[in-house]
Amino acid sequence: MTMSALRRPGERDRLVVKFTQIDWTFAIALCLLAGTGALMMFSVAGSSWEPWAGPHLFRFGFCFVLMIALALFDIRVWFALAYPIYGLGLLLLVAVELVGDTRMGATRWLDLGFMSFQPSEVMKVGIVLALARFYHGISAEDARLSWRLIVPAAMIAAPVVLVAHQPDLGTAMLIALTGAAVVVLAGLSWKVIGAAVISFVAAVPIMVVFVLHEYQRKRVMTFLDPESDPSGSGYHILQSKIALGSGGFFGKGYGLGSQSQLNFLPEKHTDFIFATLAEEFGFLGCALVLALFAAVIFMALRTASLAHSHFGRLAAAGVTATFTLYVLINGAMVMGLAPVVGVPMPLLSYGGTVMLTVMIGWGLVQSVRVHRYSEVTSGKGAFV
Amino acid sequence: MSEPSIFFSEVNERQGAFHRRSFLLGGFAGAGLLALGGRLAHLQILEAQRYQKLSASNQFNFRLVPPPRGLIVDRNGEVLATNRPNFRLLVVKDGEHEPGATLQTLAHFVPLDAARQERLMREFERTPNRVPVSVMEDMTWEQFSAINVRAPEMPNVTADMGEVRVYPYGGAFAHVIGYVAKVNREDLTDTGPNSEAILLHPGFRIGRQGVEKAFDLDLRGRTGARKVEVDARGREIRNDPDGDILAVSGKTVELTLDVDIQNRALEVMGDESGAIVVMDCRTGDLLCMVSAPSFDANRFVRGLSTAEYRALADYERRPLLDKAMSGTYPPGSTFKMTTALAALSAGINPEERIHCSGGWRFGGRTWRCWRHGGHGAQNMHDAIKNSCDVYFYQVALRMGPDHIARAAKALGFGQAFDIGIPGQRTGVVGSREWKRTQVKRDPTWHPGDSVSYGIGQGYITANGLQLAVMTARLANGRKQLNPRLIKSVGGVEMPPGDEVPNLPFSQEHLDYVRAGMISVANDRSGTAFRQSQLGLGDVMMAGKTGTAQVRSYDGVANRDSRSVRWGLKDHNLYVAFAPIDEPRYAISVIIQHGGLGGATAAAPRAREVMRVALLKDPEIRARIVRPMPLPDVTDLPPVGMAPDGAVAAPPPLEPGEPT
Repeated sequence: MTMSALRRPGERDRLVVKFTQIDWTFAIALCLLAGTGALMMFSVAGSSWEPWAGPHLFRFGFCFVLMIALALFDIRVWFALAYPIYGLGLLLLVAVELVGDTRMGATRWLDLGFMSFQPSEVMKVGIVLALARFYHGISAEDARLSWRLIVPAAMIAAPVVLVAHQPDLGTAMLIALTGAAVVVLAGLSWKVIGAAVISFVAAVPIMVVFVLHEYQRKRVMTFLDPESDPSGSGYHILQSKIALGSGGFFGKGYGLGSQSQLNFLPEKHTDFIFATLAEEFGFLGCALVLALFAAVIFMALRTASLAHSHFGRLAAAGVTATFTLYVLINGAMVMGLAPVVGVPMPLLSYGGTVMLTVMIGWGLVQSVRVHRYSEVTSGKGAFV
Repeated sequence: MSEPSIFFSEVNERQGAFHRRSFLLGGFAGAGLLALGGRLAHLQILEAQRYQKLSASNQFNFRLVPPPRGLIVDRNGEVLATNRPNFRLLVVKDGEHEPGATLQTLAHFVPLDAARQERLMREFERTPNRVPVSVMEDMTWEQFSAINVRAPEMPNVTADMGEVRVYPYGGAFAHVIGYVAKVNREDLTDTGPNSEAILLHPGFRIGRQGVEKAFDLDLRGRTGARKVEVDARGREIRNDPDGDILAVSGKTVELTLDVDIQNRALEVMGDESGAIVVMDCRTGDLLCMVSAPSFDANRFVRGLSTAEYRALADYERRPLLDKAMSGTYPPGSTFKMTTALAALSAGINPEERIHCSGGWRFGGRTWRCWRHGGHGAQNMHDAIKNSCDVYFYQVALRMGPDHIARAAKALGFGQAFDIGIPGQRTGVVGSREWKRTQVKRDPTWHPGDSVSYGIGQGYITANGLQLAVMTARLANGRKQLNPRLIKSVGGVEMPPGDEVPNLPFSQEHLDYVRAGMISVANDRSGTAFRQSQLGLGDVMMAGKTGTAQVRSYDGVANRDSRSVRWGLKDHNLYVAFAPIDEPRYAISVIIQHGGLGGATAAAPRAREVMRVALLKDPEIRARIVRPMPLPDVTDLPPVGMAPDGAVAAPPPLEPGEPT
């Protein structure tokens, strides 16, 4: 019933059919990653579900159900909501600018009374949806190089500027890179890509000197020479490398990582959970987890390539690009290849907001998969 | 709209571009993940060993353990300085807990008033992080356990058991042994033994005076260490006993002193200020070296309050000064043996009589003899026995200062002996050369200087140790004995004091002078006859009294020392040895500003201390206790030689002898 069922319009709208079309191998890979995260949290909490492992699994369970639910939403619903979601995200970012909570020197949070959240997270999915929606409507020729590309450029620039002003450079960079990924996937001319890369590389030193905040500059400097201040800002990078390296090939054993158990490792359950894993399970464990991440990324990319609608393709690939960036940036940071930026390892790290964002993204990808044969009208303003 | 055919028409340029680009994204992701994997392999496989070392140095720490300080014992092994357990409360500044709040919590369990808390807060400010500060010493068991029970709630607090120095005999040995105290910043050096980290340990004490200071390094021992696992804040998680390095306690320092003699000597000093030194005149071992008044060294270990310190430092009898070594006094008439020896060496005939009429006119003034009526015609023996000043005035004037200085130096005046501890002041031995170089306002030696030199006044001063050495050398009658205070260190015997050359005096001259001292104490007309009777049968004492002026009597109407204030009274001295036939012990007693004359203030004290010393000597006891005229019963067990000192009060053996 699988393929043929999906090709029959009447059949493919049935919930049961949709349910079977979800990529369950992919879902299991996600569960394994989240489970690994919980395993490490259990270890660093001194063999306790509290305070991290239990909540982590609980949140993942909730987000997993949410992902399944979102997967069942018709791709056309996503298509129709693309601009509204982006617009809402932009509005919330402006609101943060005006009435946001300031925590630790950065205004990132919006207090909704019952909960507070970061609107920049909405934007991570919003930018993908909006760009996919836009490129769905233009020709390959226009996507390569045309004046119409001012629109996606503005779409990316607006949230990036707002988020960077909070200041949250890590997220701004993620949004920018995600947007850029979609633009490139849509078929941007190589000449433009080349020019952009060159000008970016040229702009980095200027940014470091003039645009970055003092703490951001310090992070960059510390990254360049971590040993210069081993108990200050270089401490995180150094201790993380010690945790990784001392794990060796087989690791120190579960619950026996001295760096994480004795608190030498900072943020051992959030941003640096990969170092905790590396210390206790060694190269073997790390390689397995990296392989799991690779599997998740390639399954998602395959889903993107299966989609018949351009919107679906770009949306799925865009979400995958975001996820990939998370993994690579966090990995590079933990291994001392990148400055310490607040980018967690998705699914592995403790933290509800990022978990929610990532799983909503995967919900979109699974929706693309389930509805891969669905036709998406390119008509303007079409709604379902 | 949903015809399948539409999918095939979608195969267009856009899709082609996306597919190519998504391969690129896949390639990027794959390359990135491979790069991470490569980096991991580098760190975890190639550099694993290096990081494992770093991790271990993070994880494990060695906590220094102060070694037990070495014991100080007397010649019979009696403990003079030891360590006792001390329940101690330590608080560490770890950057997480506020020491002030911790102190307030602790104040519920131990007495910590506001002033003490304030003082501790200042100490916290000076102390680097993670170095514990001792908040309280000597807690009771109840306080100790109350804190230990609550230890889990106060991770920056530890109640542990350390050791604290204790001196069981309090003041008797304070000057010789000194004391230990907390390490000051000035004690720390960049190199050498005082650069070691153990000095920063709150339980560590450094030797401050006397033996504790001089043998500090021997007494310290070897620092141990506990291998502990620590967390990132430096808190101890657990101990790894296999990795511990055991502390080795310090060496035992054995002194030549005898605890009984030393204690009795301090007792007999009473409220007086002065010194008593007892020396073995065959070996040079010092059996007693007491300075009075003394102080309780245990107070110094705990740390003296300013008020306590001021009370000690400001008291006019100066308890902190070691009068046996650091106080120098004119020897007065106890110097007359030296003058006599010098005269004999200078060729003066001892049988030549000099008439004493109670005074002698010389250089436009009258030099008085202590006896107003005069002694009549005196030869040298009489002059020593009667302590005739006029005789020695004239003899000294006749031979001049350099003969006297030579004899004085041979007998030990003017020098510091190598007894292992610092603090001796050498005093002055006058001579023409000395005065020329040392007395700037009057560099010429006047005949009058020689006159007072002859009776131990003027340009001659000595400390108690020198007087004891002089007496021991005279009593030994041959050897230029050196004193020895340290018997052994860590079981290694120190060089004895009797491997020395002979005195540069003829045996005949030494015997002559010694005979004079015997007469002082044993002729009924001797100056210290009554005060020198030991009451130990044929074990008898020889001695010489001395009274040293501390002010000029010229033009002073009242020469009676008793009615002037303490600081102006005469010093009273007595030097003695016993037994007279086979000299065993020599003693010097100085009563600073005693004001009663050497025979009255010093001699009875010397006699009492000498009795203790003699009665502790098994050979002497055998002599006393054995029924008198039984010379051929050497194989009999000595009667009454019970080990517990049953002969402490011997029966009078010669009826009618004063005791």
